[in-house]
Amino acid sequence: MKMKLTGIQVFWMIMIMDLGMTLVMTLTPSLQAAKQDAWLSIIVAGCIALLVALLATQAAHLYPGQTLIEYSQKILGTWLGKAVIVIYLVQWYTIIPIVLRQFSDLVQIKLLQGTPKEAILLLMVLLIVYATHGGIEGIGRCSEFLGPIILFMVCLALVASTNNIHWKNILPVYADSGMMGIMGGALAPASYLGHSVEYLMFASFMSQPRKGAPYAFGAVMTATFFVVITTMMVIFTIGVNLTPSMWYPFFEMTQKISLFGFIDNFDAVPVVIWIASVFIKLSVYLFIASYGTAQFLHVRNWRSMLWFIAPVIFVFALIPQNVTEATTHYLNHYWVPFVLPVNMIILPLLLVIVGKWRQPNRSTPAS
Amino acid sequence: MTRALMACKCLAILVFLGLITGCWDRKEMDDLALIMASGFDITDDGQIEVTLQIALPTGIPSAVQTGGSGKKSVVVLSAKGSSASEAAGRLQQQLSRILYFGHRGVIVFGEEYARHGLNQVLDAFSRLPESRYNGYVVTSYGSTAKEILNQPYQLELIPSIGINKMQSSKMGFSVKIDQFLDALSSQGRSPVTSAIRILHKDSDKETFSIDRAAVYLGNKLSGFLEPDELKLLRWWIGETQQVKFTIQLEPEEADYKGTLGVELLQSGIKIRTAVKNPIPEVWVSFHALVRAIDNDTKLDLSSSNIMKRVETQLSKQIQTEIESMLVHVQKNLKSDIFGIGEEIHIEHPYAWKKIRSKWTDIYPLVPVTVDVNIDIERTGKTQTPVHIKKTD
Repeated sequence: MKMKLTGIQVFWMIMIMDLGMTLVMTLTPSLQAAKQDAWLSIIVAGCIALLVALLATQAAHLYPGQTLIEYSQKILGTWLGKAVIVIYLVQWYTIIPIVLRQFSDLVQIKLLQGTPKEAILLLMVLLIVYATHGGIEGIGRCSEFLGPIILFMVCLALVASTNNIHWKNILPVYADSGMMGIMGGALAPASYLGHSVEYLMFASFMSQPRKGAPYAFGAVMTATFFVVITTMMVIFTIGVNLTPSMWYPFFEMTQKISLFGFIDNFDAVPVVIWIASVFIKLSVYLFIASYGTAQFLHVRNWRSMLWFIAPVIFVFALIPQNVTEATTHYLNHYWVPFVLPVNMIILPLLLVIVGKWRQPNRSTPAS
Repeated sequence: MTRALMACKCLAILVFLGLITGCWDRKEMDDLALIMASGFDITDDGQIEVTLQIALPTGIPSAVQTGGSGKKSVVVLSAKGSSASEAAGRLQQQLSRILYFGHRGVIVFGEEYARHGLNQVLDAFSRLPESRYNGYVVTSYGSTAKEILNQPYQLELIPSIGINKMQSSKMGFSVKIDQFLDALSSQGRSPVTSAIRILHKDSDKETFSIDRAAVYLGNKLSGFLEPDELKLLRWWIGETQQVKFTIQLEPEEADYKGTLGVELLQSGIKIRTAVKNPIPEVWVSFHALVRAIDNDTKLDLSSSNIMKRVETQLSKQIQTEIESMLVHVQKNLKSDIFGIGEEIHIEHPYAWKKIRSKWTDIYPLVPVTVDVNIDIERTGKTQTPVHIKKTD
């Protein structure tokens, strides 16, 4: 009855969730804080994300085959466990509309200026509902298929930009921003690279739950590596005078591409990267949200939750007034100051510590 | 139940089909006015005059027919307004097609407008979604942008494609819009663009030429570089295709002018900076491998003694040229078009923090020491000029 995920599918799922959004959404805050040292910020962010992955995998492996909803109540007791779950549910229910809105904002800003955002949103919502309806297995297969395409597109954009490189743009290293600047710039990408925390939920669907950790680490490292290279490329090609005030520096970099005088305007490449990663990310979150809610409320058929969640996220996505509200406010007032420390580090740490402490007392390990 | 489900599925597919067509943003070629170039001028009462060069649908060159055919291939329209978008809005009212900026390859700033300051229109270049960074910026020299865009050009059907090709061929100096904006927003560099002017004015041989550079201080035009100075600027920034120098090697005689022409093959510069007291110091060493392209002397370029002498003289003369250009740029125009501030930023980041806010005041006072080292690598197919009568 249980849906199954392979390790490779987990790798691609986390990789896509981390890579696409970080590339498009978080370069600007990093560049604003750390200027030409933004790539150092990304490396720091990658280390934070690895820590998140470590905690998430450790916590998930305490009770293999169970989801966060089940084992958090086992580890922390019913009431505290429920409180923890509510904190995560808030995260899941807010991230979906925000990502949806970011998706439609970008499509409107860069591509379809005349299209009403409701149409763009509706299309995506229908698509992710369809994907999620098939269960996590279907999402895993989609990731397996889209992941290599996304990586290929990123490489393509990077290689095609090499003739625009100005090496001096990255100098001087470190002196301008210092430790504080680099750390400050690391927060936003860390909070996006930390999506491996969702491993807490989907570890239970793996066919070999205890063997997932290397795949999660590999995914975080791969994503970080590509984000670092891309950040350096953005700095090399556009420089740090203009990028801090651009919404989507990665897109601007690809617009500068001009090869052999006739290959121009690579706009389509980042669009593929972006839409594919948004699709995977939203589907994963929608699945987690509906499955989690169903378990939490003891609803037998989790698919019925979709029909409730989908309209809710669609309406929520219409609430932010403009790009600043959707992207900057959410990132600066909720995601970075709250989700990054609490949902991604403190709570998994709590689960690991309490879980480890309680486990030896039990006569039989749950498996 | 199954029938209801099927109906639902069909409905969903229909909705999908309706949505993914993207019909709201449908743009047919027939509905677009493709803007090939735009120009900005200022009027006497402080308004902005926007000039657009729009490709005529029938005039777009096909594979078979290229080059000027005498048929008109562009429409040039101008309108005034308090802002560029207002003026563009007025132009739109004259057109049956929607203005489309995606293919704009050339942006011309009128000289007077540039002297007045460019802020009013710059923002739109990066903000408009369809505007791209691959367009070139030129500043008109001795005329308005309107005159430049109204100027016919013989070799291409669309004059602005001519300008665009002149710029992208790398035979001359060129600046793209993003480079211009980058320099403008940098603290350690001043913007510079190439400058276009109309040749043979008021005759039937009118055409344009891009042989100067327009130097900006902040967003205001501060002056122009002469063609000789432009060569040195191109050497400095490393765009050295077709950079040639002619030097006086020997006194002029009856038969020979005594000049030698060389062309840069490989070149580069090294900049070193030092910050000891509040005023930084800069050393620039230019080096190049050149080939001799015309020898109007009696000298035999195969002799190593003569070569040495030629090389020293070449270096010396170019050094004086560079020094006089630096005086012009640094003391008169006061613009840091070479990015000396950025070099100091890179080499002395902590000292730069203290001086960067005063950089425009400090820059004209910075002593720059120039050192030139030129080696002749190739002398072409001949030694002495072949037509010289052998005396022995």
